[in-house]
Amino acid sequence: MDLRPKAFFEDLAPGTEIPSASYGPMDRSGYITTALILRDGNPLHLDRVYAHDRGLPDVVQQGPLNQSYLYRFITDWLHRPWDLRRTKVRFVANVFPDDILSCHGAVIRTYREKDEALVDCAIWQENQRGEKTLMGEATFTLPERS
Amino acid sequence: MAMNRDRKALIGRVLPPFTYVLDEENVRDYLSVTGENIAVYRDAETARAAGYDRRIIPPSFAPWIALSAMLRSIDWERDFYFDYRNGTSMFGEQEMIYTRALYVNESLIFTGTVRSVIEKQGSRTFDLVTVGYDAVDNNDAVALRGACALILFK
Repeated sequence: MDLRPKAFFEDLAPGTEIPSASYGPMDRSGYITTALILRDGNPLHLDRVYAHDRGLPDVVQQGPLNQSYLYRFITDWLHRPWDLRRTKVRFVANVFPDDILSCHGAVIRTYREKDEALVDCAIWQENQRGEKTLMGEATFTLPERS
Repeated sequence: MAMNRDRKALIGRVLPPFTYVLDEENVRDYLSVTGENIAVYRDAETARAAGYDRRIIPPSFAPWIALSAMLRSIDWERDFYFDYRNGTSMFGEQEMIYTRALYVNESLIFTGTVRSVIEKQGSRTFDLVTVGYDAVDNNDAVALRGACALILFK
């Protein structure tokens, strides 16, 4: 259960940080299920020898799974998960089994559009060494107090 | 050989449509992998109490659905001039616009179009192929929209 206090539109201003959240350690046992859902059988995610042969320390966690933790960080905190309106992310570094991912966000702007109170945020994800693994933006709506 | 063809010729190509069913099994598997556990994803009554028509999927599952639909609809060699068995590909930037909530057991038809192809030079040369897509529901309304970039190493 997510225990972070929920915010209202009036609480946020440019620079306000969204309460961070951490997930992990990442568990390789989910990678086969992930491959099946995605229909992505790339051995880079499943075969440690294949990954070693390509100079990697271990299999690489699937990118969409990394994304899931970053989006969950937002949607678990929102009053309603589908108050999310837009996301845009780019993959910056690989994630490996046993990594711990922390997710962060900071408000860029707040505005009203088409009767919705909207918030644009910078969002990013880091591993346990402080290296960024995902960077991007999210837009969501929040309820107003009044 | 297909891999050596200029991928700029792909710009504008409409990929085969694919119908994705948000079936119970996939949703359950997804929740088990990610550990997402808030009640609106698991219980219809709770979802209705939160203002949704019925049980919803997590928004974080939407990018998976979009990528999976694309990967199921394409033929790597025909659509991207790419040798999937021997080549190296990665996901690049992903953008999603969430038009409305998505529900367990609904069907969406994804149609993708190759928007751009940009050759870039890193430690190796690669093409950044960006595919835009719409997912429409049974009422022909757009439920999800987005774009994903594929990095195809040469």
